[in-house]
Amino acid sequence: MANNPIVFFPLAFVIAVAALGVLLASNPIFSALFLVLSMVCLGFMFLAMGAFFLGGVQLAVYAGAVTVLFVMVLMLFDLKDNANPIAKGLLSRFLKVSSIGVFVGLITGAVSLTKYYPVPVKAADPSSMESTRVLAVGLFRDYVFAFEILGVLLLVIAIGVVSVSRIKGGTHDRA
Amino acid sequence: MIELSSLLEVSLGHYIFLGLFLFAVGLLTIMLRKNMIVMLMGVELLLNGVNTIFLAFSHFSSHTEGQILVFFILTVAAAEAGVGLALAVSIYKEFKEVNISFFESLKG
Repeated sequence: MANNPIVFFPLAFVIAVAALGVLLASNPIFSALFLVLSMVCLGFMFLAMGAFFLGGVQLAVYAGAVTVLFVMVLMLFDLKDNANPIAKGLLSRFLKVSSIGVFVGLITGAVSLTKYYPVPVKAADPSSMESTRVLAVGLFRDYVFAFEILGVLLLVIAIGVVSVSRIKGGTHDRA
Repeated sequence: MIELSSLLEVSLGHYIFLGLFLFAVGLLTIMLRKNMIVMLMGVELLLNGVNTIFLAFSHFSSHTEGQILVFFILTVAAAEAGVGLALAVSIYKEFKEVNISFFESLKG
């Protein structure tokens, strides 16, 4: 299903346009909304690729939780439309864009010169239950140590975020 | 001679270039924008580009390790967004703006 061009090309187009919207929208709220659009379409693309659990997680965690967090913080700040959202300096802009151009060109060259390109398409997509079961076996048996470490990381992050945001006098406590 | 049908057939390369495009746009967002929250959105775009490439390789080679890595990346990305937004809030409390140039005067 992921190799169906009728599924791939419209989704890819919307994802690309929404990503450019994040970059170009002068109002941060519009950037956040474009980000939601891009995340939702990527979630559908993950579903089409047979990664059903990850597609659902992408929709729930990314498009749901993370971007809602962004929008909440933006509402807290009450930011106005920024007149010039792009950083100053014509030369530095040129250098930034051209360095990314060189980077993209290098990756494109490396990918198209690779001996194994293109990888042959595999036979059939696994069913949704099967792909989710395989992912669960990997997470809870083969990589269970990394999974537990990730739990500890999340605990540390939660404590750290609370302590950072509760520092008295902001970040410049001169007292 | 390139035929139209081979152009329309979706291969691994299409997914790699979609992920590369997302990565490049994310990098541009981080480098060019001044608002710190929009820069964090750029980081999310970057991680999503990587996720797309991971899942494409996983899909086309029938390995599930790619999906497990994407799961870990999703978790770390959510944690990173939380930390970044907490820093943005602490900058806003001091300067009433979230311009990235205030970061250089941030010290504990």
